[in-house]
Parts: sequence; structure tokens; C-alpha cells
Amino acid sequence: MKYSPLNNNTQEKIDGLSIFLFIVLVIIGFLSISSATSEVNQEFYSLSPIAIKQLIWIGGSVVIIFTILYSNVVVIDYFTYGFYAFAILLNIAVLFLGREVSGAKSWFGFGGIGIQPSEFAKVATAMALAKYLGTYGIRFQGARNIAICLFIFLLPMAIILIQNDTGSALVFLSFFLVLYREGLPGFILISAVWLMFLAICRIVSEATGISSYYGYGLLLGIGSIMVFFARKDKGISTLITVIAVVSAAFYTIVGTVYSSILQPYQRDRIELVLGLKSDDRGLGFNLRQSKIAIGAGELWGRGYLKGTQTKMGFVPEQHTDFIFDTIGEEWGFVGATVFLLIFCGLLTRIVILAERQSTTFGRVLGYSLACVLFFHLSINIGMTIGLVPTIGIPLPFISFGGSSLWAFTLFLFTFLRVDQVRK
Amino acid sequence: MEKGSKRQVVYIGLIVFVFIVYSLKLASIQLGEVPYKKMAINNALNKITLYPSRSNIFDRKGKLMVYSTQMYDLSSFPYEIMKLDTGLLCSILEIDLPTVRHLILDARIRAKKRQKNNSFNNSALFYANLSNKQFTLLRENIYRLPGFYIESRTDRQFATTSAPHALGYLGEADESLIELDGYNQPGDLVGITGIERFYEKQIRGIKGVKTVWQDRTYTERGVVKDTQFNYPSTAGPDVISSLDFDLQEYGRLLLNGKKGSIVAIEPTTGEVIAFINNPDYDPNTMVGRERAKTFKALLRDDQKPLYNRAVKGVYPPGSTFKTVMALIAMQEGVLTPETTHGCGGGYRLGSIRVGCHAHGGPLDLRGSIRISCNSYYCQVFRDIIDNPKYGDVKIGYAALEKHLRSFGLGSQLNIDLLGESRGNIPSVAQLNRRHGDRWKSSTVISLSIGQGEILLTPLQICNVAVIMANRGWYYAPHLVKKIDGFNDTSWDRKYRIKKFTSINPTYFATIIDGMSDVTKPGGTANGTGINDIEICAKTGTAQNPHGKDHSIYMAFAPKDNPKIAIAVLVENGGFGATWAAPIANLMIEKYLKPGAETSKPAMEERIKTSVIK
Repeated sequence: MKYSPLNNNTQEKIDGLSIFLFIVLVIIGFLSISSATSEVNQEFYSLSPIAIKQLIWIGGSVVIIFTILYSNVVVIDYFTYGFYAFAILLNIAVLFLGREVSGAKSWFGFGGIGIQPSEFAKVATAMALAKYLGTYGIRFQGARNIAICLFIFLLPMAIILIQNDTGSALVFLSFFLVLYREGLPGFILISAVWLMFLAICRIVSEATGISSYYGYGLLLGIGSIMVFFARKDKGISTLITVIAVVSAAFYTIVGTVYSSILQPYQRDRIELVLGLKSDDRGLGFNLRQSKIAIGAGELWGRGYLKGTQTKMGFVPEQHTDFIFDTIGEEWGFVGATVFLLIFCGLLTRIVILAERQSTTFGRVLGYSLACVLFFHLSINIGMTIGLVPTIGIPLPFISFGGSSLWAFTLFLFTFLRVDQVRK
Repeated sequence: MEKGSKRQVVYIGLIVFVFIVYSLKLASIQLGEVPYKKMAINNALNKITLYPSRSNIFDRKGKLMVYSTQMYDLSSFPYEIMKLDTGLLCSILEIDLPTVRHLILDARIRAKKRQKNNSFNNSALFYANLSNKQFTLLRENIYRLPGFYIESRTDRQFATTSAPHALGYLGEADESLIELDGYNQPGDLVGITGIERFYEKQIRGIKGVKTVWQDRTYTERGVVKDTQFNYPSTAGPDVISSLDFDLQEYGRLLLNGKKGSIVAIEPTTGEVIAFINNPDYDPNTMVGRERAKTFKALLRDDQKPLYNRAVKGVYPPGSTFKTVMALIAMQEGVLTPETTHGCGGGYRLGSIRVGCHAHGGPLDLRGSIRISCNSYYCQVFRDIIDNPKYGDVKIGYAALEKHLRSFGLGSQLNIDLLGESRGNIPSVAQLNRRHGDRWKSSTVISLSIGQGEILLTPLQICNVAVIMANRGWYYAPHLVKKIDGFNDTSWDRKYRIKKFTSINPTYFATIIDGMSDVTKPGGTANGTGINDIEICAKTGTAQNPHGKDHSIYMAFAPKDNPKIAIAVLVENGGFGATWAAPIANLMIEKYLKPGAETSKPAMEERIKTSVIK
């Protein structure tokens, strides 16, 4: 212990709880992958080729962990922009050299192994954003600074959109949540939620044929009443009027986009999630099978290695994006909520760690980690239980795949290493 | 950063919010009402039915009559067919695209019915009875047809084509049957007629199940090892029929070119030895893919080959009925063997005249049977119902009716076949309706010689012969002698109950003496008898308002310790002695002297080659 860098007297102890939760999650992930890809009727516990591959990825992440733990934090700081630039370049390169997988050109193929640079772009972006905001004298204020902040994460998002990997691109929206901590006014996020609400209302009216005039009527009515009560304060009544007009305009735009710009299959997908359409054969097949898998778990689950929905392939992508189905089917409601609790515990822990950082760099990095993980968790699990549209992003630490596991391990341990040297 | 620091609460709040919402959603899915677990099991397991072999059916001497053959069907999950290579399917089955669509719809209907019937399995028969070529091609290519699998089941093959109406045929189970017993699924073959139908529950055996894992593409992924999901099928037990294979074939040969029925029964047991109808059909055309087509064609055939006239056809018994009348008259005390009545070429009463053929002098009872004198029985009949002890013709007739019913007439004999006719023994009420309230014995005089409202099935006529042979009792006739290894022995209880007529056994002797004279010189069937076999018989001619009279003959032999009772009916055959008598006597000879050449080759040749239009 005496010679370990972890025991250096200039450093705090690394956060044991986070590491413990991380290890638990990785083990859950490995066991789930192993089960989801196992054969029926197998008499002995044997590993599927995919489980063995995951074991290799886990081995790789152990190397990453120790590399980070034994490296100097200065190095992390020093290479941040270079790493960001490298990640951007890789994501551009993949557009030309990549391999197309289900419509998206986001993979480098090396023999049997694929690397997805967009996974690493998340951690690189978070570090770049943290470094920029942590630069002496820079705060999230002023048009130039804000523009640069937005540029830092909207650039990779745009590139990944070009790769046609919508799911991974959407993840970058979670940086808006990070910016809230750095002073982004709350009304912007509230507005975003309000606009989302309006959009959903309009889509429902388009899809069901309920006249959109009800929406206009409500906006006009509620707006008028509010203006009437606030008539003495000119500023507020003007603001309400502006909000109402902007809302009405947005409401109209959504209607036009939805009915004339979106492709039918895109409309189908949205309507399916909003519960406006049930289609058990086509698009809805995956969602239905996913629900059957989770529902079949009932209270205590069907038992490890006994989930037929997942291992027989009724659930699509059962070892990657839909890995949560295996947990739900084999461990039941109890197992699934315990899993959620563990994951949410890790998220909460990261938020607490982020908040105790003395540097902006550390704080932004921590919140980025928390927000990106939060986005992944809510979208991925929300998708399997039908609360969110089917968006293909992995469940961090759990889903099969080296890029995702390595990128998130890198992300988590970089932050933990930064946390370790906080002053 | 005081303000920012407070904002961490928002983040933690969001995390808690998602945790709560997602947990609630999980609870609604995992702890809710929807039977997801059943759906999951239904997804992953395919319970393939293992169809048992139906019973082999043997004749009374152990000769195989019906046996099972293996056939292969193409089954499918008709609601899961997502990407069907129709071209491949069409080329293998050699059918066109509209047919494929039709088959899918049919399979869906079957699957619906099956699901309605408490089964979570939504697979169903798609295409029955694959040819060898189709089977081979399908087995090689089945992996290219997700949602399809091959099932094997059994069909029938008949070693004899002479007994289609007794043995019966199979058909696809209809909805009512499926709902009734919960055992059959749409597409299953069940007995529709004959022994196959009556003993369906015994003959069908017990289905087995092989449960296999299947993946999303409905491709088999190995057998489920848990033994509770797998059990083998049990073949139906051997069924020993009472029919005599050789006699049956011989009888069918004799009936060639003629419409009619032959029924033969072993008097001491009630076992049906021969059961032949013509027209009938080749049962081997009622199997396999051609079944439905053949059935439709047979249904349309105006020769009515599916019609089981031996138990469904009703005919006036004609003079064969005189034996019964005489017995009843003796029982009623109005006739003795010594009673004589004159004839004079017919019976006259006022304006009514019942003709008789020319024969000399007054006859006693024995002679009246030998000669079949109409006048004699008109008198006997009047003596019964005009009996002064009853005072009223209707009371007298009611007494007669009661005796007739004790012969099993006017009701089903409960043979082990469905759809048996009761025939008709008119009640007083029926005669009232027919003739008005004020009828007299002379009004219904034709009943005396087995005409008029009295109708019997060939089986019932044969059963009268059985009663004569037994001197007053019978067992319900039946086609199945024994079911091997079938533990439940109650199936034949009703065939072990002796039924007695209301006639004192001592009265039979004179009648039987008369019957033994029938094939001898001076008898109505003289010349048709068989040397060395004392045949007791009675000829009959049933008047047929639609054409030429029906030729009827009932007999048993030998006179002492009878082994066979028989009734033969040849439609439009005219006089009983012309067709029915030689056929019956040849049958008796064949049965009592198995394997021997007939002593009457000329008669046999005439019968075999004659055609009655």
C-alpha cells in the first residue's frame, strides 16, 4: 500500500461506493448477456461465444481502470482537447471507412470486432466541455461562451446524426441538463418540456383526427384569462401574450411537420409509443415481445437461465439494447426494481460526488457523467417497457459491447480519478 | 455558486422521479392482469401432437379388416406467417397462389377454433396427407418455411372392401364434436360412421405430446426435456369384430348387380356375422387427400352408395311375418298346430279379397308356413284381434301390438351403429289416424301377411330369424365381439342381456317344423336348399308401390343347435324364392362349411352373374 499512487498523501481515497456499484452492474450485465445468449436445454453452465467476448471486453476495461488509476491527473487535463479532436476525427472518418449496420454508418470493423467511435465521443465531449467551462475566467455567460459550449456538444451530435445513428446523437441533448447546473436558466428547460407537451398534443390530434382547433381554443382561452388577471402588470401580461403566440406558432409548425414532412414509418413509430396505434405484427412486435418478456417475470422472475422470451429471440437485440428484458423476465419485479435502485443509486452518488468538486472541471465532468447515464437509463429501460419510443441506445455497463463498456468505464473512472485528487 | 449548488436537488429529484415512474410501470406489467407468462410459454413451446395409431379391426377369426397407415401433414402457425416464401410452398405442394391463400385462411379458422377450445396453442393443420415427394421436399426445405412444421398422423386402409357400412369411414372432426369432448382438434380424423364412429373413444387410442422449444421464427430448437411435457401416444386396442371376413366377401359377391341387404347373426350371441349392402362404396377411396372429393361424389350419386339400408331401409316384411303371427295366435290361445283353414285361392270378406296362390286343400299350421297361405293368416289375424275375450277390436289389436314389440320390432334393436331405424309397428292411434276411428279387423287385414303399415329393417327381419332359432329370445345384435386390453368392460354390457319375447317357447316347435319344410319339395323355396344342412326358412314378397316387389327371405340353420340366422332382401327381386332364398342358403352353406366348394355351383353362378335392373 505504501507505494500505491492511491495512497499518496496528496490524494483522497477513491470513492469505494461508486466502484462497488460499478462492479455489481458489470456482473449483472455479464450474467444477463450470458443468459440471453445461452442455449435452451443446456445441461451444464457453459458460456456462449458472446458471453466470452463480453468477458474479454471486461478484461479490457480492467486495464483501462488501472491505467487511469495509475496515471497522473495532469495528463488527463493535458490531453483533453486532443482527445476531443481525435474523437471528432474518428467520427468523421467512420462516415467514409465505416461499416453499415442496420442503416447506420457508425462502426469501424476490424475482423470480428467492431468499434463505435460515437460512444467515445460522449466522454470526450464531456471532458472538453468541462475543460472549457473550467478555464480560468470562463463562465456560462455571454453569447460567445454559450455559443462555444453549445458548439462543443452539438458538433459531435451533428456528425453522429449524419452517421444516421439517431439514438446516439440524441444522447448529446443530455448536455443541456448539465448546463442547467452551470447557470442555464430553468425556464429554458421548462419551455422545452412545455413545447414537448404541445407537440404531443398536436400529434395526438393529428393521429386521432380530433380537431386541432381545440388546441388553439384552449391556448386562446387560458391565455386570455391569465392576461385578464394580470392586466395591471403590463410586463407579465405582455409575456403571457408572447408565450401564447409562440406556443400557437409552434403548435402549427408541429402539425405541418408531422403531417407533411415526417415519413409514414416515422409517424407510425411515434404513434405506437403514444399508444395511438397497436400493431402486434409489424412495428409493435418488438415492444409486445419485450412486454411479454418482462411481464412473464411476474413477482420473483422465472429464474436465471430460464427466460425463454429472451433466449429464443422473441425479444430483438436481447443481449444489447433489450438486455433489460432478461433482467425483468428472469428476476421479476423484485429483481428489476432492485436493479433500478442500484443504477439510480450510482447516479445519485455521482451527483453528490460532482457537487463536492472544488473545480468547475470536476463538477461539469461529474454532472455530464450523471446526465449521460441518466439519459441512457431512462431511454433504454423506458423503451423496453413502452414509455419511450424505440431508440437504439445501450444500457451502460449492462448491454453487450466493448465500445459502450469501455467508453463508460473510461468516463466513470476518469471522473473518479478527478474526484480522488479534489482539493 | 450558491444558486447552482441548490440545483443538485433537481437532479436527484429527476432520478427519484424516473425510479418511481418506472417501478410503477414495471409493477403494472409484471404484477398486472395480462397473462404475459402464459403468452411467453406459448411463444416458446410448441406442443406437437403425437397421433396414435387407431385400432386394427379384425374379423371373428382374426383376419385383419382395417389397419392404420402413417401419413404426414403440413401444420403451421397461421397467424405467425410473416415472411412466407410462397413460391417455394407452391412448387413443393404443386398448388397455385390463390390455393395457398385459401389454405392459410382455412388454417386460421382451425387455429381460432382450437384456441376457443381452451388451448393456448395457435397452430393448426395446413395441408393434410402429403405425398412421398411432397414429404421429402418439405423435410429438406422446412427451415426455409418458418412457421411450418411436419406432423405425422394415421389414416386408414381397408383389407376388405366388402364391409364399408359396418366398418365406417373417417372424416375431419366437426365443430360440435370438438366442443363436445374437448379431445379433438380441428383437422383431427374421427370415425364418422360404422364401428369407427360407435367405438371412436376406444379405437382412437390416446394422443401423445412432444413439446419442443421454438424460436422467434417458429423454428424447432430441440425437445423440452421436462418429462411432464412429453408423453408417447398409445395406439388403440385391437378390435375383434364379429364379422366373418370370408362370408362378408362372399355375400358381397352374391349381391353384385342387385340392390339389397344381407344380415347374418349368430343366434346364441347376437354377433353379426355378415352385414352387406349393395350399392356400397370402396372404403379405400374414402382415405387420404381424396376423401372429401370422394365423399361429395358419393353423396351426389343417385344410387345412394352411402345409404346403410340394412339398418336404415324399412320394408314390409311380407310373408316372413306369418311366423310371428302364428306364434302370437298360439300364445293368445286362438290357434293350435291342428287348426285348419280352407283357402280357395284367396280370402274374401265382403268387398275385400286377399289373393293366394294355387294350392290344394285345407292346411294345418305347419302346412300354412310351408305353403305360405294368405287366407290362413287372414283368418289367424282376425282370430287374434276379434277375440271375444277382448270384446273390442282395438283392445285385441293392442294385445297383438304388445306381442310384436316383444320381438324388438317398432323400436331400435340397439346395434352398435348410429342411425338405426325403428321400423314401424302401427299403434292403435296410428291406425285410427289412418283408417278413421271405426276400423275393423277386415280394414287392416293386410297386416296379417306383413303388408300395410308394418315396416321392418333387414336387421329386424334377421333378428326375427334369431328369435325363431333361439325359440323365443335374442341378444341385441352387435358388430364388435371383443376389444383387446380395454379395461373398461362396460361397453358390451347391453349385449349381454338376454331379451325374451312374450311367447311361450313350446309354441315354436310347430312353426320351426313348418320353416324346415320351406326348402323341401312342396315348400315355397323348393330347390334352393343345401344338402346335409337342415335350413329353417320363410320366404316373403314385399309389395312395392314404386315398382317390382322386393324379394325377402329369412332363415336359420341348422334346425337343432342353430349357428346362423340370416335375412336377405333383394329390392325389386320379386318372389322371395327367386333371389333372396338362394343367396341366403348359399351364405349358410359357406358359413357352416367354410372352405368347401358349393354343392350348388349352378345356382351360385346364376346369382353371381345376374343383374336386376
